[in-house]
Amino acid sequence: MTISDVAKILEGSLVVGDAMASRAVGAVVASDLMSDVLLVDADDILLLTSLASDQAIRTAHIVGAMGVVVHDSKPLPSTMSQVAGQLKIPLVSSPLSKYESCVRLHAALEAERSA
Amino acid sequence: MAEVHKPVILPPPHASDDEIIARHPPIPRVTTDEDSPLVIMELLQRIKIRDVMRTDVVVLSRRDTMRRAQDLMRRNRISGIPIAEGGRLYGIVSVEDIIQALSGGWIDDVIVKHMSNHLIVLEADMPLAFALKYFENYNYGRFPVLNKEHRLVGLISQRDVTRTLLYELTLEINKLEKKAMQNSQAEASGDSQAAYLLREWSVLHNDLENAGKAANDIKAILREHNVDRRLTRRIAVAAYELEINICIHSHGGNLTFMIADDKATVIAKDTGPGIPDVVWACQDGTSTANDWIRSLGFGAGMGLANSKRVSDRFDIKSVMGKGTTVTCSFNLKPGGE
Repeated sequence: MTISDVAKILEGSLVVGDAMASRAVGAVVASDLMSDVLLVDADDILLLTSLASDQAIRTAHIVGAMGVVVHDSKPLPSTMSQVAGQLKIPLVSSPLSKYESCVRLHAALEAERSA
Repeated sequence: MAEVHKPVILPPPHASDDEIIARHPPIPRVTTDEDSPLVIMELLQRIKIRDVMRTDVVVLSRRDTMRRAQDLMRRNRISGIPIAEGGRLYGIVSVEDIIQALSGGWIDDVIVKHMSNHLIVLEADMPLAFALKYFENYNYGRFPVLNKEHRLVGLISQRDVTRTLLYELTLEINKLEKKAMQNSQAEASGDSQAAYLLREWSVLHNDLENAGKAANDIKAILREHNVDRRLTRRIAVAAYELEINICIHSHGGNLTFMIADDKATVIAKDTGPGIPDVVWACQDGTSTANDWIRSLGFGAGMGLANSKRVSDRFDIKSVMGKGTTVTCSFNLKPGGE
């Protein structure tokens, strides 16, 4: 599942990033607490958060995340997109809640694994 | 771009203390130009106006005469006198007011008739950066300085600012030169402990906009050095947590990153206020953060605990009123001590 697939499943838009990027989701972490995210020891994390700030992107970069999704159509500060561009972290804006995103992504990843 | 701030303007002399407090705006943050060297930005935030202002201020009361103001200015070689009673500032008389009084024939009038009472003042707790902005934005040679209770505590002039900045910059340059000399000596002597990579970042209090940049840089350095991906993440996590800690909990400080031989070290050093109980502070979930910090995704009390968890060696020293130094070390070779 690539970042374009994620944007489609979550009815969102890819604000920053290459729609053709092939990097796949390795693990999904849903949190607004960045110290929690820093604790997760997994590769290619997709970060689901409601935190529309530069720090969500910087945290994603530190843990080597493959992308960040901001929920509830929260307005994204312009600096957030700039930092995402600089650090090459794909950024998706979705109208869904984090809970709804978790449910949809879980179903989609399960379907992908059993296929 | 530098921000332009609304001036602090005193309410009229008849205002009550409650009115004064209600009209007083909160202290906004100053951002200095991005191109300024970090050491200067840090100085302008660290040095407060109270450190620079003169406190031996000549004051007069509203009932004194303009002639007395003229006499005091001449004898003390000053160009402005605040008019205050019981610490409460009512106005200021400048050389220009005296010149007008002489030519207009009212030099023997009481000051209250001719003083300027539409005043722009600074607060003692504001960073020095504010004073520079005010001198830039308003055509005054000096500003009265008030404390939190809105009482006159000093006067600040451009000369005071220049003198302090020159002194502080000399100290900083001496420190940098000493450090550079130590590095070059260690390198020349072939000392195996000599750092072959040393970088330092200044971290400002409450500067959440820039917090994390140092950790992002450290991660990029580790990638350039082909350090293992998992180890890179551990070092970056420690650096990030410590950087955020300096930003939200301290008065400001520095984050240093070193690679020497087979060891990488992250050192976070701040200038206070210090941690009363470091054992307690290093436990998961212990926090003194406020709601603002939490709204930014931090402040759950996991910063020090996370840094300790990912480090091979962890050390913390804190002195109340002086500051805290946290050192996280990492073995770059598997199984290395």
